[in-house]
Amino acid sequence: MKRFGRTARQLWQRWLQRRIPPSRKVTLDQRRIFIFPTGYGFLFLLIAALLFIGGINYENNLLLGFSFLLVSLFLIAILHTFRNLAGVTLVAGGMRPGFAGARGALEVRVQGGAHAHRSLWLRWPGAVAEEVSVEPGQQQSLWLTVQLSRRGRQDSGRLRVETRYPLGLLRSWSLVDLDHQCLAWPKPLPGGECPASGGEDDAGQQHQRGGNEEFEGLRSYVAGDSLRLVDWKSYARGRGLNTKQFSDPAEGRLWLEWQRLPGVDPESRYSRLCYWVLELDRAGERYGLILPDGSLEPDLGPLQRERALEILALSGEGGG
Amino acid sequence: MSTTIGRAISAVSSVVLGKDEQIRLAVACMLARGHLLIEDLPGMGKTTLAHALARVFSLDYRRVQFTSDMLPADILGVSIYDPDTRQFQLRQGPVFAQLLLADEVNRATPKTQGALLEAMEERQVTLDGVSRPLPEPFFVIATQNPVTQAGTFPLPESQLDRFLMRISLGYPSAETELALLSGSDRRDHASTMKPEISSAELMQQMELVGKVHASADLIDYVQRLLAHSRDSGLFVVGLSPRAGLGLLRAARAWAFVAGRDYVTPEDVQVVLGPVTAHRIQASTGGASATSTQQLLEAVPVVRRS
Amino acid sequence: MARVYQVPRHAFPWLLAGALLASLPHLWRGPLWLAVVVPVLLGWRTLIQRGVLAMPGKLIRFPLLLAVIGATLYSHGTVLGPEAGVTLLVAAFALKMLEMFRLRDAYVAIILASFVLATTFLFSRDPLTTLYIGVALVVVMAALVGINDPESGVSPWRHLRQSGLMILQALPLMLVFFVLVPRMPPLWNLQVNQQQAKTGMSDSMSPGEISRLSRQSGIAFRVEFDGEVPPPAQRYWRGLTYGWFDGRRWSQALPPEVRQQEYLRFPNGPSPEWYERLLAERGEPDWRYRVVMERTGQQWLYALSVPFSNRQEVGLARDLRLVRRTDIESTFDYQVDSYQMPVAHQGLPEWERRFYTSLPQEGGNPRATQMAKDWRASATGDGAYITRLLLWFNQEEFYYTLEPPLLGENTVDEFLFRTRRGFCEHYASSFAFMLRAAGIPARIVAGYQGGELNPLGNHLLVRQYDAHVWVEAWLPGQGWVEFDPTGAVAPTRIEQGLDAALAEYGESALTGLAGALRGVPLFARLSLLADYIEFGWAKWVLGYSQQNQLEFLSRWLGKVTPQRMVMALAAVGGVIMLAMLLWMLWRVRRPRLVWWQREHRRMTQMLSRRGVPLAPHLTSAQIVQIASEYFPAAGQPLQDWQRCYDTIAYRKEITEPMVLRRQLRRLRRLVGRRLIRPIRLNPKTDLQREA
Repeated sequence: MKRFGRTARQLWQRWLQRRIPPSRKVTLDQRRIFIFPTGYGFLFLLIAALLFIGGINYENNLLLGFSFLLVSLFLIAILHTFRNLAGVTLVAGGMRPGFAGARGALEVRVQGGAHAHRSLWLRWPGAVAEEVSVEPGQQQSLWLTVQLSRRGRQDSGRLRVETRYPLGLLRSWSLVDLDHQCLAWPKPLPGGECPASGGEDDAGQQHQRGGNEEFEGLRSYVAGDSLRLVDWKSYARGRGLNTKQFSDPAEGRLWLEWQRLPGVDPESRYSRLCYWVLELDRAGERYGLILPDGSLEPDLGPLQRERALEILALSGEGGG
Repeated sequence: MSTTIGRAISAVSSVVLGKDEQIRLAVACMLARGHLLIEDLPGMGKTTLAHALARVFSLDYRRVQFTSDMLPADILGVSIYDPDTRQFQLRQGPVFAQLLLADEVNRATPKTQGALLEAMEERQVTLDGVSRPLPEPFFVIATQNPVTQAGTFPLPESQLDRFLMRISLGYPSAETELALLSGSDRRDHASTMKPEISSAELMQQMELVGKVHASADLIDYVQRLLAHSRDSGLFVVGLSPRAGLGLLRAARAWAFVAGRDYVTPEDVQVVLGPVTAHRIQASTGGASATSTQQLLEAVPVVRRS
Repeated sequence: MARVYQVPRHAFPWLLAGALLASLPHLWRGPLWLAVVVPVLLGWRTLIQRGVLAMPGKLIRFPLLLAVIGATLYSHGTVLGPEAGVTLLVAAFALKMLEMFRLRDAYVAIILASFVLATTFLFSRDPLTTLYIGVALVVVMAALVGINDPESGVSPWRHLRQSGLMILQALPLMLVFFVLVPRMPPLWNLQVNQQQAKTGMSDSMSPGEISRLSRQSGIAFRVEFDGEVPPPAQRYWRGLTYGWFDGRRWSQALPPEVRQQEYLRFPNGPSPEWYERLLAERGEPDWRYRVVMERTGQQWLYALSVPFSNRQEVGLARDLRLVRRTDIESTFDYQVDSYQMPVAHQGLPEWERRFYTSLPQEGGNPRATQMAKDWRASATGDGAYITRLLLWFNQEEFYYTLEPPLLGENTVDEFLFRTRRGFCEHYASSFAFMLRAAGIPARIVAGYQGGELNPLGNHLLVRQYDAHVWVEAWLPGQGWVEFDPTGAVAPTRIEQGLDAALAEYGESALTGLAGALRGVPLFARLSLLADYIEFGWAKWVLGYSQQNQLEFLSRWLGKVTPQRMVMALAAVGGVIMLAMLLWMLWRVRRPRLVWWQREHRRMTQMLSRRGVPLAPHLTSAQIVQIASEYFPAAGQPLQDWQRCYDTIAYRKEITEPMVLRRQLRRLRRLVGRRLIRPIRLNPKTDLQREA
């Protein structure tokens, strides 16, 4: 029985794959739109059926007519609900990574066709739906959360686009594979020694950086020289503008190393490294990364953090 | 009219060898009142190109080497108390030039970059609460090392939009390199070049560029290119309306350089790469040039339905 | 899911308006407490919406529900059956509004509202009610659109427009269903109007009953003639006959020795001998017409002379009247052929003679009885006796009045010799008595006489006040012959109708506003128009029955079978749906190509057909260059074409479009002629060079 269920699911997935192949841009048309009544739709039809029976039994043509009108309205609602989804173009947009076990976000751009599309609900499998309405020819951008289960690049699965507008009696929907992927950083795992080479001492020096630079001499000011380096004392003495010259300071740098976490399983290593990247970033340290399949030059700042996390997320995937 | 431009171009070509296309683009960029971003490794002749352009168009030329510890005032200028006259005197920064070469602009901090880009956009500088207009014409040629180099602050996307074009010179071809090696230092040539066009004449020509005709069919083509860049999913973010205006402006200038008073789709196709290179990011993560080519090939020149 | 499960604020105006519109007709009609409770509940809900009052809890709602059920029991004596059921439904629906907070409640409330709205048709079926219900349904559906539009702050009119549009689109489909969905006989017998009074004639008549009917202006039936309309004096619409007199009341009855099957003949049933003889004797019909009857709650049908109907549920009785199998609970129409023919051949068996001459045993009305016996004895025959009697009615001081004095024990004696003021039932009753007293078989016929011709639809409108009774007597050799003693007293009644007849005696049938308005010409014309519309409504909508459907469809489908009907339904419905879908999807048209763009397409298509590899992104110059390499002979015209095309498409405004158009076409044809003997260089390398 279980196996039968699985086979059916596989067949369904394969059929979907053929019918709506993955693409970063999908325009919904009749081949891609499914439609089925909602519970309220069935209730509505039940009322129409009751009125029909009433009309027959009481020989009341107006009751019959009313029940036919309800059925016709239901049929017209099929067209409207279908049209509300038809012509919508979905484009895969940007990506906001998140930590494994938490949520990331993927952008989907919803573009309207020749008419307005109201109350579209979009969601990735197992995630929260968002609602959007698009005016004709306009575009709306939606960031939809995705649940990230494990580290690395994660397929978003099929996006479910659904609408019940205008009457809520029918639901038309599509399952679209936007070929969208979300990056999952390793889940930070606190604790342990900082797996770094370069030493605490070097890191400590970062804060008094300017003092370590060696003064080399003065030269006359050239437009474009930093005003911070102008020798204001000599200017005040009337010797004109001069610029102080320093030699390049030797910088302390910290290398976070995969190798320094022996006896820990690989995923946990990434998690530890991730924790330390975040810690060092918060402390404003300059750090680099050395992993089995790549490394990152030491630096600091948000950009460095992004890069570090990305490398940690993709490491071990065979060159992401 | 275009003969003078033609003369200017050939004069620059005699100094910067084997880069005719880039020189034309640079000139077109200037004629379109746009700023130019050159992305290249050091030593490719960026400075020579800028210097030569300045000479040929008889423009007041300054060069600023950007570093990480530069402050906005280093570019814009500063009021300094003069002990002799006992007054504050404005020391105009290097930005007060007709052609500013901002070398390695991605080495400066975002704040300093922001000051320069704001001046580029507004064509004026506000110092001590007083707005001072920048000279006319005003061009910035900024150079940038490829981002792979450490210790740089890549320009944010919103600010890259302020440059009309991004080009790169690239390594010279074998013949050019031979000529280069056998000849004397070309940079000296730049400083001895004689002006071909006065800056007033240049202003006149720029005026004419604005009058180059873009037909409804052509504008429709440009619009479809923009729309496709947004819809196709080729790029992370599609081209902005500002990019569209820039594309049309650049195409007009290119047509003008080619000696025409109307724009053809070829003009658009030629400038599309340089105009969009720094504005869009291929969603595949690859080079934007490939995606630009894909964009070009996906959009029919003549409307089909 | 991040769905909002609350009812959006902007949906409330239509929700409340829809609820009010749905229950309004029932408030009009239902018990008084309903008309108080429903507006109070809806007002309460509005105040909740405004934030003035809090949502009531279960402790309040449950007792309210019990109270409503109690009140329904009190008003109707039951909670079952249509009347009580609808009362309870409306009240419960208003209560549901009170607890409506979540989206689910709103859905249920809206679907209930449409049901409540539909039940109005159980009680009222005129075109205006139908129009009202249509409008109300638009509002109810607007509420449904509203709760499905989560955008806040949108104009509620947008929802009304959407709902109106959808209902307009649904109308053609509804029409198709209405015409094509097979009508079925009732699944089980349900009577909605048990408590509703039966209207029109009843199966017995005592003095004063017909005159009461004559004060009503309600419509009895309408008749559409196929051919000429008979003159007023011949418009005797026979409905039923009264054969039994108990001294005061005439009733319909069958002598105990007669079996129902012998007396009443239905299609597909056994055919009695009298019916066979009638069929054999009939010639060409004198009148062919269609009667559209309003609801009466009774079985009697009305027709002229000797009627035959083709409808399955209509039978013919031995006393020559049409009867329906079941009571007429909704508009009913039937086709009739009437024959003016003597019915002597039907014969008058002994049991019938006895029955039609019977009088109450204990010697009531002695004076009238005596006079009848005397006169008959002195008369030469039945005919002479009858003539003398009619003459007597005509010449004595008899008055025609709607307000006759009350009669005591011996009704006939009192009327004939004392009061002498009466309405048709008095004249017919005493006339029939006098015949029977003289031994002549006689019966009273009840029905309508006359009718107003509506020139708009050329149909006859028969109202309740046209109700009339007259007498039939059996004359040897002639059979049943009609006699109308009222006509002897007041001939105007027969020729010009009740009003004119009463006017002669200074009376009016209709009092109050209705009577006053009848004299106003504009009102008269408007009422004619209204009657015309109502007749059409009754004929085409209310009276569209299984039989009409079969007749109508057999014209289109030939033989009507269920399969054919379903196929026709699917085909017509499908075509309408498809047309609407196409209309909806392609309402926005793309801009058309201009002529040079079409010219460009022709050129590229021509080159592609000849094997030139072209891509759409190539500019005209690139196209020309590639094509020239394939067809060097066409090089020059290709270049000219390109220059011409670029001039048109990209240069400044062109001054002579027609000249350029011709030129461009000419150049394309020139190119076409030069596309000969392609020299295959090496297309592949060429292409690479291009790229």
